[in-house]
Amino acid sequence: MSTTSGAGSNATASAGTAPNAVEIAGLRKVFNANKANAVEALVDVDLTIAPGEFVSLIGPSGCGKSTLLRLIANLLDPTSGTVLVNGKPAAQARQDQDYGMAFQQSGLFEWRSVVRNIELPLELKGWGKAERRARAHEMLELVKLGDFAGHMPWQLSGGMQQRVAIARALAAHPPLLLMDEPFGALDEMTREHMQAELLQICARTSTTVVFVTHSIPEAVYLSNRVVVMSPRPGRITEIIDVDLGSDRDEDTREATEFYGRITAVREALRGIEMGAGPRGIEDR
Amino acid sequence: MSDRGSGTSALRTAQLAQVVLPPVVFGVLFFGAWELLVAAFDIKPYFLVPPSDILGRFLDNFDLIWAAMRVSGANALIGLLVGAILGVAMSFVLLRFRVLDEIVTPLSIALNAVPIFVLVAVFNNMFAITSEVPRRLMVTLVVYFVVLVNVARGLRQVDATHVELMKSYAASDWTVLRLVRVPNAIPYFFTALKIAAPLAVITAFVSEYFGGSQNGLGNKITSNLATSKKAEGWAYVGGACLLGLAFYLFAVVLEMVVTPRGAGDRAERGRSGA
Repeated sequence: MSTTSGAGSNATASAGTAPNAVEIAGLRKVFNANKANAVEALVDVDLTIAPGEFVSLIGPSGCGKSTLLRLIANLLDPTSGTVLVNGKPAAQARQDQDYGMAFQQSGLFEWRSVVRNIELPLELKGWGKAERRARAHEMLELVKLGDFAGHMPWQLSGGMQQRVAIARALAAHPPLLLMDEPFGALDEMTREHMQAELLQICARTSTTVVFVTHSIPEAVYLSNRVVVMSPRPGRITEIIDVDLGSDRDEDTREATEFYGRITAVREALRGIEMGAGPRGIEDR
Repeated sequence: MSDRGSGTSALRTAQLAQVVLPPVVFGVLFFGAWELLVAAFDIKPYFLVPPSDILGRFLDNFDLIWAAMRVSGANALIGLLVGAILGVAMSFVLLRFRVLDEIVTPLSIALNAVPIFVLVAVFNNMFAITSEVPRRLMVTLVVYFVVLVNVARGLRQVDATHVELMKSYAASDWTVLRLVRVPNAIPYFFTALKIAAPLAVITAFVSEYFGGSQNGLGNKITSNLATSKKAEGWAYVGGACLLGLAFYLFAVVLEMVVTPRGAGDRAERGRSGA
């Protein structure tokens, strides 16, 4: 139950009655265990995420950030250690659809209209037709695509498709949103726009977010905490607090504090590269 | 609004003309050249008959040709339906039992590359000499493998993101089948049907060359050509062409009715977008 190294004050402060959004202890994941090609994807991962927090996972390819996200989602089973989501074991949380998920590919079903894509998780939860249609329209308004309900996914741009995917992930109002590089395939302008919208949506719905990304500015702009990970074997090396306040807008991107945090994350990541080679030579 | 409506309809007509005109012009030129060639060089009818002759015989003998078309057409249609149903059914079985899939799929792909319709000679030995069953069996077999290979692929090759997403919804295998695999396989099914429909017609009348009743298009083509009734023979060839086209159109129209937004187009977009 101990908090993780360097965890932000907001991670522990709210641990009153509400359970933590995510609680990971002693997590280890080995792919192809007991075989010649066994890969240690994650070791010694402890991480606690408070309700309403926005946490990014960042690190070079192969550091296990996507694996960690899939372990939280219970799309993968851990080799050892525990994952609690919303106070329940991850498997139970998945059964209860306690989280929504969005991927780099929007993953929209091309044979379903936009509104029916958003209805899908509700349909699987057994909601009635009128009820889920109403919620889907509400979600479409939230992502500012109210006029596109009847469109087919391929009629939308990449950014719009991703917004539909986010609307779908949040349709059932899950307390937790898991995102795996959701803006990775978008151009820079669309990407910044989507980041701002995501923050607004999360603030309005008070959703906790775990966000995997390759981009340092993206991680800093969005997050309360940035979790820096390193490969071979995948592990958490540093957790960096980002105290840019809750009202982040386009001016935030120009702020000195913003650059300060970017530098902090970059240095943490650079430390990883050093670690891989001979240590401490180029530390100027 | 009406302005825009008439604008688009004018555009539609222009687009339609662009699609329809070239083949029509080509057809007219082709048959015109054929007709002129036969006349100009005084080509004898035992070598090549002019299209006007063929059209005349086709109209004169329409009842006979229609009867032969119905025989071959019925064989093709029954084989197509039974083969398609069996092919779809088997692809679901293969999805369920992986081991079976590993045995059957390579075999199916290999068989698709072999002219298996020669098997009709074997089937002919198994049934009465006047039976249509061997021919229908042959068509069924040819269609079956085409449909099986394609639909099995459509059921299996689903988007990895879709599978993860459904897992995150704690969806059962049955739900994944119903909401992901089957819709994903529909464009594959129609691709198979568009290949299989004309193939069914070809198989139906090629099968007739291997014996049995002398009642189908294939029989009539050979018997007329053999008795030097060249123009009649050609008229039956025309009937065979019409039958093949009708089957292909049937597949295309069925696809348009079932997936109005263009399933093939959609499948391509789905894949390139991923």
